[in-house]
Amino acid sequence: MDIAANFIDLSFTHVAYLFIVGFVGGLVSGFIGSGGAFVLTPAMMSMGVPGIVAVASNICHKFPKALVGALKRGKYGQVDWKLGIVMGISAEAGVLYGAQLQQGIKQAFGDAGSNLYVSVAFVIVLGIVGGYVLRDAWKTYRLGQADAAEKVSTLARKVQAINIPGTMMYFKALDAKVSVLFTIPLGFATGMLAATIAVGGFIGVPGMHYVLGAPSLMASATELVIAFVMGLGGTIKFAWSGLVDIRLAMIILAGSLFGIQLGAIGTTYVKPHMIKVVMGTIMVLVLLSRAIVIPVYLSDLQLIGTIEPGLATVLKNVSFAVMIGALAVGAFIILSALLKGMRLHKAELAAAPAAAPVVAFAPAVGLSPVGRLERILLVSDGSEFSAGAISEAIRLAGKCKGRLTALSVVMSDPEIESFGAQLLKQEGERAQAHLAQVRAQAVAAGVDCDVVVGQATNVHEAIVEAADEGGADLIVMGRRGKSGLLKTMMGSTTAKVIGYASCSVLVVPRAARVDGGAVVLAVDGSRHSDAAAVAASNFAKHCGKAVTVMSVVHEDFTERRRAEMDGAVQRVTSLLTQDGATARGELVEGRPAQAIVDMARRKNADVIVIGTHGRSGLEKVLIGSVSERVIGQADCAVMVVKAA
Amino acid sequence: MAVGSGKALARTVALGMGSAALYLALYLFAGQIVERSAQGGWMFVIPVVIAFLFSMVHGAFTGHFWDVLGFKAKK
Repeated sequence: MDIAANFIDLSFTHVAYLFIVGFVGGLVSGFIGSGGAFVLTPAMMSMGVPGIVAVASNICHKFPKALVGALKRGKYGQVDWKLGIVMGISAEAGVLYGAQLQQGIKQAFGDAGSNLYVSVAFVIVLGIVGGYVLRDAWKTYRLGQADAAEKVSTLARKVQAINIPGTMMYFKALDAKVSVLFTIPLGFATGMLAATIAVGGFIGVPGMHYVLGAPSLMASATELVIAFVMGLGGTIKFAWSGLVDIRLAMIILAGSLFGIQLGAIGTTYVKPHMIKVVMGTIMVLVLLSRAIVIPVYLSDLQLIGTIEPGLATVLKNVSFAVMIGALAVGAFIILSALLKGMRLHKAELAAAPAAAPVVAFAPAVGLSPVGRLERILLVSDGSEFSAGAISEAIRLAGKCKGRLTALSVVMSDPEIESFGAQLLKQEGERAQAHLAQVRAQAVAAGVDCDVVVGQATNVHEAIVEAADEGGADLIVMGRRGKSGLLKTMMGSTTAKVIGYASCSVLVVPRAARVDGGAVVLAVDGSRHSDAAAVAASNFAKHCGKAVTVMSVVHEDFTERRRAEMDGAVQRVTSLLTQDGATARGELVEGRPAQAIVDMARRKNADVIVIGTHGRSGLEKVLIGSVSERVIGQADCAVMVVKAA
Repeated sequence: MAVGSGKALARTVALGMGSAALYLALYLFAGQIVERSAQGGWMFVIPVVIAFLFSMVHGAFTGHFWDVLGFKAKK
């Protein structure tokens, strides 16, 4: 076969070897987002492939593999494409800089200098990051928190709290806005590490998790997008120089695509801390492998006494074996976890019919009136303050395939009826005309809409009555816009409707949109917050949103009270996650209403869901000062949920 | 075998054959492909296009392969 000078002839053994190593590497990459490629370059070189061709062919197999893995994990809702692309672009710059740096070191200090630089980078980065990741996984396991929802690290919370105008970007994985001034250096470091040791994910994944606040499953899945961007750029660069041996790349790809599919499936069965266990274990073992050969490079550079050539060869072989062992151990943990997870899942499915009646928390909204969004009552007075309520009620009814009824109430009393019949008629006609516009708007959006004009002395009574008669699941209404001190107050009609209504009420400020942002769910461990959780879960499912479950503690709280609130957050977060929602918990300190509103702003939320008591008699008008303040101060919509 | 699983098997076999055909073509034309791509420059598109093509066909095959064997993601 006539093969270009740089490219070797391939035997069946070579093909089988690359296929198997590719499979194991793919398995690890599919699970932790990267880490499967670092043995491939030395593996190819051991077959006689020139180093630069091995690097080029490795990169050429990486980008299609990462693409397939990202698409697969994207199906499971684990990928943040935006974060991956943003970090991938800065990672590309890191790759170019890292390659140039490596080239410079090689020119100045030769092969031994370059190898020493790579090994030291391995030992420092993997030692610090790998040790931390493994320690964190162990801590989670030891404290029995493996089943609990992952907490956002303190560092990530601080990073998310820093607002640098003009640089803020919302990322789904973080469920928060973060400055790109933080993502750029992280991406750059990921690229530099990829150029140095062929695995950028050892910085990328922990960086996204611990520094930015992405859940580990999402961080590892998003890393595949970064690997794709970096790999494509690297492939073009090397292919332009004619260094890619496409045969080698496609043979490795043949095995690695089997592996990456299986690794991706594995992530759906394991608890999040398993990502850290596999990544940390591989990192520490690889570190050991590189540490073993450091004396050889130090000797070559004459920084220590000369090492016998025989001993140097033994050390290099042991190092390579440990590296392959690292990958094998990672693959073993993944396969074991996958098989165990599948077995448990099968057992759970088999036991499900018997267990179903005793489920305590029921986001099974089909059976609970609390979270249902089938009948929506839109209340509009035709003023500018109802604009947000109108558009969002139509949008919500469209998304939930719900029935929409638009209501306007003309205020009346016996005196007006006696002396101002003409005035009342005019008001009624105006309301009819307004509701006709609302219906036209709804029909244009593909939503059926009934319209009702009511007349009452007390407007709130007419609204509550209409909601009860129509069996409304949700009342959507506006909020009077206030400024300054009055901002803490909402319209009295809205307050009374919330107080008296038996269903939930969504209060929408004039300019608010319930579209694209997150849901903030405030809980305090009471049954009211459980009801709110059911509603939030249903809302998030219909609108495809992530839920941030939060609770607020005050500095005067006892440790026990704090633990209770933390437990409430963890419990609801865990249950929402089990119910299929993307949920994360946060415990914050401060004044309740302000902390909830601040959280909504930070998370770019477009709905705050809050539970309230269902009082009776005169107390009905008191909806709770926290709810009232939140409604008054929030920039976004607030859903007040009544406990059934 | 259920109708659904029969269809899934047929799809997997079809994709597997497509993937095998691609690898056979790569084996048969390896000489020309490697020679052209070793020239570099705009010939960089050869390995990039091949990589995309293989990832689509072989990627779809491997996904269905594990599915047919019962390795499905937890819903």
